[in-house]
Amino acid sequence: MKRVITRLAFYTVTGVVVFMSLLPFLWFLDTSLKTELEITAIPPVLLPSGTLHFYRSAIERYDLLHFVRNSAIVAGATTVATILISSFAGYALARLRIRYKGLIMGALLLVSMFPQISIAGPVWRIMQSLGWLNSYQGLIIPYVTLTLPLGVWILTSFFNELPRELEKAARVDGCSHMQTLFRIMVPIAAPGVFTAAILVFIYAWNEFFFALLIMTQKRFQTLPVGIALFQGEYTLPWGEIAAASTVATVPLVLLVFLFQRRIVRGLSAGAVKG
Amino acid sequence: MDKIVKPGIKGGVAFAVLLVVLTVVLLAAGCERGVDDGRVTLRFVTWKPNIPEVWDEIYRSFEAENPDIRLVREIGPHSSTAFHDLLTQKLKNRSKDVDVFLMDVIWPSEFAAAGWAMPLDDLFPPSEQAGFLRGTIMANTYRGKIYGVPLFIDSGMLFYRKDLLQRYGFSPPETWQEMVRQAEVIVGGEKGRGVEIYGFSGQFKQYEGLVCDMMEYILSNGGTLLDHAAGRCGLAEGPSVEAVRFVRDEIIGRIAPRGVLTYQEPESLDLFIQGKAVFHRNWPYAWRVSNDPSKSKIAGKVGISRLPHFPGGRSYSTLGGWQVGISSFSGKKETAWRFVSFLTSERIQKLIALRAGKAPTRTALYEDREILKANPQFSEMKDVFLTAYPRPTTPLYPALSNVLQRYFSKVISDPGSEIEREAGAACEEIERILALER
Amino acid sequence: MTGVRLSLLTRERIFGVVLLVPCFLFVAVFAFYPILYSFYLSLHRIILGLPRLGEPFVGLTNYRDLLHDRIALHALGNTFAFVFISTFFEILLGLAIALVINRHFRGRGLVRAAILVPWAIPTVVSSQMWRFIFNDKYGLLNFLLYGSQTSSYVAWLADPAYAFTAIVAADVWKTSSFAGLLILAGLQVIPDELYDAARIDGASAWQQFLRITLPLIRPALLVALLFRTMDAFRVFDLVFVMTQGGPADSTNVLQFYGYKKIFAEGLMGYGSTISVLVFLVTFVVSLLYIRVVGRRFLQEMG
Repeated sequence: MKRVITRLAFYTVTGVVVFMSLLPFLWFLDTSLKTELEITAIPPVLLPSGTLHFYRSAIERYDLLHFVRNSAIVAGATTVATILISSFAGYALARLRIRYKGLIMGALLLVSMFPQISIAGPVWRIMQSLGWLNSYQGLIIPYVTLTLPLGVWILTSFFNELPRELEKAARVDGCSHMQTLFRIMVPIAAPGVFTAAILVFIYAWNEFFFALLIMTQKRFQTLPVGIALFQGEYTLPWGEIAAASTVATVPLVLLVFLFQRRIVRGLSAGAVKG
Repeated sequence: MDKIVKPGIKGGVAFAVLLVVLTVVLLAAGCERGVDDGRVTLRFVTWKPNIPEVWDEIYRSFEAENPDIRLVREIGPHSSTAFHDLLTQKLKNRSKDVDVFLMDVIWPSEFAAAGWAMPLDDLFPPSEQAGFLRGTIMANTYRGKIYGVPLFIDSGMLFYRKDLLQRYGFSPPETWQEMVRQAEVIVGGEKGRGVEIYGFSGQFKQYEGLVCDMMEYILSNGGTLLDHAAGRCGLAEGPSVEAVRFVRDEIIGRIAPRGVLTYQEPESLDLFIQGKAVFHRNWPYAWRVSNDPSKSKIAGKVGISRLPHFPGGRSYSTLGGWQVGISSFSGKKETAWRFVSFLTSERIQKLIALRAGKAPTRTALYEDREILKANPQFSEMKDVFLTAYPRPTTPLYPALSNVLQRYFSKVISDPGSEIEREAGAACEEIERILALER
Repeated sequence: MTGVRLSLLTRERIFGVVLLVPCFLFVAVFAFYPILYSFYLSLHRIILGLPRLGEPFVGLTNYRDLLHDRIALHALGNTFAFVFISTFFEILLGLAIALVINRHFRGRGLVRAAILVPWAIPTVVSSQMWRFIFNDKYGLLNFLLYGSQTSSYVAWLADPAYAFTAIVAADVWKTSSFAGLLILAGLQVIPDELYDAARIDGASAWQQFLRITLPLIRPALLVALLFRTMDAFRVFDLVFVMTQGGPADSTNVLQFYGYKKIFAEGLMGYGSTISVLVFLVTFVVSLLYIRVVGRRFLQEMG
């Protein structure tokens, strides 16, 4: 009897949690397939007519694909740069005998902690003086800076977990440090590298604050900025907002469903062993 | 060992493929047409219009008439605040990517003081300025120089349900108190007939539009926000406080749904055109939308009049509208001016009035039969436009406006707010801001 | 012999430094230098809209003004309230979620993925979703609560207390599942034998939770708490999209206020005092946390 109750409770709670997690997303997906009159109907209409009108409108009138493209460029480049740099740093911190490791890790942790506003003004001024406002590098550089702590922490913990014997063998065979890193360590750490890459990518794809400050020209704006500023002249285009939101979210939902195990592992790397 | 490596590589490959596919698709889809055909490129920063076809047509005919110019539009958000933030960031950056831009009526002095907008006196002399409504020229003048050409004018108007007022034997209200009374009678009566309707809808969210709406109440009670010349803040004075209290207790507390505290123009108009409000305060564009049967449930049942006032006061409308300016960093002044004068010409203003329902800034167009036929409301609006009152002009307007927005939002959203005390505090802040300018 | 080993160590150290240089450069130039630069800016009067005034040094004037800035203090209070309340509920809900799904069942991967969806969605998007759900006329929440009784519909975002709650709710929705997964990872390393032994000793489920589960997931809990707290200080997107700080400033938080001051009003000097304030506040809070949590981290890493 008790078993039945716990089972029931378990399935109910799980069901509710899953439902609540997906509900807003599904509601917006639903909204994006409605007609204008259905969207603003009072009370709301549950089932959509199933028109793709707002997707077409978002693409044709609101340049949706253009925002997606900018987001892909910025997030892609950030991911590559961060992973490269944090592989170096992660290896050094996990394997090499260097001083002040704790201090370095702590300093990185600190960087990942403070809110963007505490550096926003100066970063904006630096980018302005370099002429990099409204350029991809103008946004990629702050993103790399802000994702480095995440990358280094994850990779350090992954390198730490790898068996030392392999390296020793390689060193005995006469490999240099650099060769050891690239021939032995990076391939073995591929799962960790990949995990870090997903997390960095998601961060850069979603970031809004710096994108808002640095990309003032529509030509360079990323998807979150586009979606936040969709409101038109005396119009509130919920249909297009919902369509664009769906487009922005689907790649992430795919990533999450394909790689949930890695993501969870990456998120808890260093925090909890295993 | 293999077991660890394999899934990682597989996953990595899948991820890389995903990225590559995404990028290729997007690069193909979002290609920029960058042709070098010897034309001068002119960059125009504007917002998303609600009737884009009209504007597209205007830009096309400009390019057709000026084959040596390629017009590139940079479209920002319309919300005045968001557009301001984006445009000024470009200008702070001395961006060469801006030649011509739209300015809200409250910006010229800020843009002039900052050196972002170019003075246009040589191209736009007083003889030319004389053809425009006086208030709009004043709004574009800073320290004796002119920095923008008015494109169209907005001012607050009262929209009402003609059919409902008739049914209950009312004529459009002269005073705010009368409006509240009428609204209550109509809402009560309609409820008896099984129709659910609110008395009033307007814009009371914490944003720029709140300042516009509140100013109309305060000024129509003989109060003032700010006497700039005297450097005196009038928020804490009797008439101002009384007007604000009226909005809190009689408008929001009685005849408007509380949702108006989250409404900007679109949401408030939505309520009206869904047939859920008797009275509605908005800019002139609402006339066309509310009479468009494809968008509105009340087409043909809409009346328009100047805004009510308090007993003993007179009706005031906040001056709105948009100007065209040229960036100081453009380096293409002559070309830019060709576009500016085209856009603000009588011909184009007429087209905008006919097709987009925007009120022109050239006085002569208010005599134009065609325009008046398409926009019968303009004849009623002309008098309003001639007396429309600008918001305080100062280069620090954004900071000032934020203080005002906060103050108004705070006192009207809390039925128990201490208006005098909050007004006093807001005045202190305003004085601190104005002191920065000196 | 000793000489060779020393040079080996030196070479290793040099190599390590070389590997760390790129990372160091980014962080130094675009994170630490800007913090110092913010402090420098906060000592000057810089008004982007009035370049003719120049950028004079004004000492601590801006800080004196900050102390008298009711709105800044109000935003500080809002920020703390937001951080405290949202983190509290996120950890509580996260713990509940983790305890429930900590078992083996078919489709566990799918459940985990579904739970991760809110975390992965861009905050701007989830803010728009929640703004739409909280809409006073055609929002889903009103419909779920009141059906087609439209006269009872509530304007959630119009009421200062509700609007603040709405922002907290949207944040809790987005991140408590994430907190749950962190805690779950902690739960999963607890060996089953411990529970078996406890059961044999006759411990109740509650006792097992208090004596075994809680102490053992304490590190995971603290880490989740740390991440959530620091992230909550960053709240901006929700406010920007859902309320713009209103109504009555009830959702105005420091990051939003600073953004307004520096970038919308152009008061870069004064706005920088808010940057510095935010930095100091989060620095102190994170130091406190790191004292509690971090020592274990650093030991592991070193």
